[in-house]
Amino acid sequence: MAQASGQLPHADVDHSYTTTGLNHRKLLMWVFLSSDCLFFGSFIATYMVYRGQSLVGPYPIDIIDVPITTISTFVLLCSSFAMVQALAATNRNDQRGIQLWLLATAFLGAIFIAFQVYEFNAFRAEGLKIDTNLFGSTFFTLTGFHGAHVTLGIVWLVSLFIIARKGRLGPATALDVEIAGLYWHFVDIVWIVIFTLLYLIGGFDHGPEAAHAAANWLGSVLAVVPI
Amino acid sequence: MSVQPTEHHTPEHHEEAHQGRHPSFKQYVLIAIILFAITMVEFLIIVPKALQGSAGVVAPLVILSAVKFGIVIMFYMHLKFDARMFTIVFLAGLFLAFLVGSAAIGLFGSFQPTPRAYAECNAQPFTHGGEPAGEVERPEHCQRGPKVIPTPVPPVAVSPSDGDAPVGSGLEIYTGAGTCYTCHKIESVPQAVGVIGPDQTHIATDAANRIPGMSAEEYIRQSIVEPDAYLVEGYAGGLMAPLVTAANLSEDQIDALVEFLLEQE
Repeated sequence: MAQASGQLPHADVDHSYTTTGLNHRKLLMWVFLSSDCLFFGSFIATYMVYRGQSLVGPYPIDIIDVPITTISTFVLLCSSFAMVQALAATNRNDQRGIQLWLLATAFLGAIFIAFQVYEFNAFRAEGLKIDTNLFGSTFFTLTGFHGAHVTLGIVWLVSLFIIARKGRLGPATALDVEIAGLYWHFVDIVWIVIFTLLYLIGGFDHGPEAAHAAANWLGSVLAVVPI
Repeated sequence: MSVQPTEHHTPEHHEEAHQGRHPSFKQYVLIAIILFAITMVEFLIIVPKALQGSAGVVAPLVILSAVKFGIVIMFYMHLKFDARMFTIVFLAGLFLAFLVGSAAIGLFGSFQPTPRAYAECNAQPFTHGGEPAGEVERPEHCQRGPKVIPTPVPPVAVSPSDGDAPVGSGLEIYTGAGTCYTCHKIESVPQAVGVIGPDQTHIATDAANRIPGMSAEEYIRQSIVEPDAYLVEGYAGGLMAPLVTAANLSEDQIDALVEFLLEQE
C-alpha cells in the first residue's frame, strides 16, 4: 500500500491515501476481528464437538457456577459501557473523562480476569485440569484464550491511560481510542457467545450416567432431540 | 472510488461528522440497560431446575445472545453509523466462522459410535511405564468387543506336535501350538491382541472377498501354508513362514484351525 501521505504537507497517519476511502488502521482492525471470529469459532466448535463426550468427571454440572459467571458477565458489559464513554470523552477533548473512563474500563476488565482466576482455581480444586477430560481440555483452551485476549486488552488500555496522562489523547487522536475500543467490544461479544453456550446451555451437562441430548448440538438447537 | 483525503477530511470535520452520528450519553445508557436486561432474562430463564439443561431453552438463549451480539456491534462498535465496508468485512469472517463451525459440529456429530461410546469400549487406563492397569468394566453397549480388557497372559509353551498328540480345537491351536495369537487379533479371543499381522476378527468375511474366484476356506488355508502367497496391504511378508515351519502343525490341526477361522465372520 502506497504511503504517499508522507510527502503531503498536512498529512498524518489518519489521513493517508486509501483506495477504499476508509482509514487503513480501522480497516485493519476490522479485518483482524473478522479473522479472530474464525479463531474463536474453531475453539467453540471444538468444544461443541466434544461436548458430552468426557469419559470421567468432573462434568460441567458438577463445577460450573452460573450465578458467579453471570456477575462477571455483567462486569464485562459494564466495561464495554465505560469504553464507549472513554471514546466519547476523547471526542469531547475531556481530558479528565478520558483518563477516568479508560482506567474504569481496564479496572473492570481486571475484575473479570480476577473472576476467571478464581473460577480456574476452584475448578482445579474440584479436580478439573486441562488434561482431566475432554471437557477440561476444550473448556480451558477456549476460556483461557478469551482471558488472554482480555489481558492483552487491559495492557492496551493501561498504555492508552499513560498516553492520556501526558495529555496526548484528544479529538485528533480519537482513532487510537476507537480502535482499542473495537478490540475491547469484540472481546465482550465473544464472551456473550461463550457465556451462552458454555454456561447457560452447556453448564448443566451431565456425565454418561444421565442420558442427555447434549451430544447433538445442532439437533438441540432445533429442539427436535428428546431430552 | 477516488478520494481526496486532504480536502474534506480535516480532523475538525471528521470529529464533527463522527460526533453527529454517534449515540448520545443517554442513548448509551439506554443501550447498556437493554444489554443488562437481556443478560438478566437469560439468567432467569435457567433458574428453574426443570429448565436447566433442557433442549427447550436453547433456542431462546441463542436468540437473546444473538440480539446482544448485534446491539454491541451496531452501537458500541458503531457499525450502524460507520462505512458499510466494515460491516461487510466483519460479517464475512463471522459468517465463515459460523459455517466452518457448523460443518465441523455436523460432521463429527454424525460419527458413529460417538467419541465417548468408542472410548468406553476401547480406552485403556493410563499407567506409568505401560504396565497393565488391570481389568476395566465396559458398559453393556460394547457388545462386539470384550467385556473386559484382557490382561496379557504369559506365552503358552509351544511344543511341536507329533503324530500321537491330540488334535485339539481350532481355538486351542490358535492360542497354543499355532502361536497365531501373538501376531493377530480376534476380538472374542482375549489373548489375541497382536498387531503385527492383520486383524482376524472378521477373517471369514474378509477371506471370502479377498481374491476373486477363491473361497474363504481356500484363502485361509493358503494363508497358513503359504503365508507370502498373498499379502494384505500394509503388512510385511516373510515374517510368518518361519513361524509356520516351527509350529509344525499336522494336517488335522490345520483343518481345525481353518474351521475355527471360518467361524470368525
